[in-house]
Amino acid sequence: MPIPKNSKQQLRTRVLSLLLIIILTSLPLSCSKPPQQHHKTQFMALGTLVTVSLWDVDDELAAKAISAVESELNHVSMTWHAWQPSTLTKINDALATGATIPADPATLSLLSRARDLARRSDQLFNPAIGKLIALWGFQSDDRPDAPPPPKAEIERLLANLPDMNNLIIEKQTLRSTNMDLKIDLGGFAKGFAVDQAISSLQEMGIKNAIVNAGGDLRAIGAHGERPWRIGIRDPQSAGIIATIDTGDDESVFTSGNYERFFTYDGVKYHHIIDPRTGYPAVGTLSATVIHSDASTADAAATALLIAGSENWQKIARQMGVSQVMLIDSKMRIHMTPEMNQRVYFRTETKPEIIISDLDTQSGNQK
Amino acid sequence: MTRADIFVIGFTLALLPFLYSTYWNREGPAETAHIMDQSGREFTVPLSTNQQLSIEGPLGVSLVEIKDGQIRFLDSPCRGKQCVHAGWLKQSGEFAACLPNRVSITVSGKDALYDSINF
Repeated sequence: MPIPKNSKQQLRTRVLSLLLIIILTSLPLSCSKPPQQHHKTQFMALGTLVTVSLWDVDDELAAKAISAVESELNHVSMTWHAWQPSTLTKINDALATGATIPADPATLSLLSRARDLARRSDQLFNPAIGKLIALWGFQSDDRPDAPPPPKAEIERLLANLPDMNNLIIEKQTLRSTNMDLKIDLGGFAKGFAVDQAISSLQEMGIKNAIVNAGGDLRAIGAHGERPWRIGIRDPQSAGIIATIDTGDDESVFTSGNYERFFTYDGVKYHHIIDPRTGYPAVGTLSATVIHSDASTADAAATALLIAGSENWQKIARQMGVSQVMLIDSKMRIHMTPEMNQRVYFRTETKPEIIISDLDTQSGNQK
Repeated sequence: MTRADIFVIGFTLALLPFLYSTYWNREGPAETAHIMDQSGREFTVPLSTNQQLSIEGPLGVSLVEIKDGQIRFLDSPCRGKQCVHAGWLKQSGEFAACLPNRVSITVSGKDALYDSINF
């Protein structure tokens, strides 16, 4: 049926109106997507892969921010590297002679914090056992293909095992009361470096960022309208076991037996050494901690992995961390109620979850 | 309601899927791998093409394999071979690195599920 002339004019007018509406509505949508709103940059530092994510930062500030983070991490590495020449190796060499050595306030402050965390962990986080770590070959970028150390050597070190109480800090000086004390801040220095990096970003006015150093991270702000979303690795595969949406300023640190290890005669030996036995900690695959500052989260994750599923509640309480998740060797999940409210499991079958309240230390199985 | 009104409403409804996919839908099958070498140079390769790549590092050549939308370290000159043990990377955000040979791989896609991975 032919369309009347009047109706044709109406149709033309309305089609033109529609096109105008589409153009006008599309323009602001296009304009609302500024280029490079999310910057993500990777580089090598602290002997690991570092990823810096920034949201709502222009290109110029992003470049300055990345450079500042890299510089901060490299500074920490040069100061606290446990086996490449650093301020720490000089301190260790001097302490081994029995000398009393002067140290600057920043060094004393960091070592005091490490000592305090070690005490609160019942020395499960023990940065004084560098000799034991070296004996296992883990003070190396690429461990030689060698067997585990002889039992007699481990027992010799255990017989006079140092801890951070052997480090005497007084009047701007350091000295050791145990000649086997050799400080290795693995399990703390990375957290400290991430804290420093985030501080430098905040000083530049950056409000939304993640600094991830080898899988351990601190996130500030958010990813636009939504929180930053963190995937937690499955300790038995390369996949993701759970996700966490971070709050305004939170660190998420995990110690896992899959991070650094070697296999000898079919037996796997990982790098987290239990100072009580002298051997890699057994029974726990990973320990994840959410805490406001990264250095506490770092030390706590190490201590809690060593503490294991029987003893982690006491250590968590003493170290002041309330959001904890342990995965034991049977893939059972041990968590605080606070952590249980934060994690969303992405596994096809729901894992066995055991909730422990740190105050009452009662366990509920789900 | 005139026939012209019906046409305008019909046309608008027909246009909605296009507008949605253009401006809102973040799903996308096109995944890529970002490989960083010892110099810090990053290059991007699609996971849609099966291939093997040789990446030069301080210890030698890291061999990387791309197959069926996944990527992995196939061989490495490092002693521990932890990069090889890491296996296939397929979910956006996953990564593996050979720290001794200073080579890293990160997988990304339009449908990134995570902003960062904790391990």
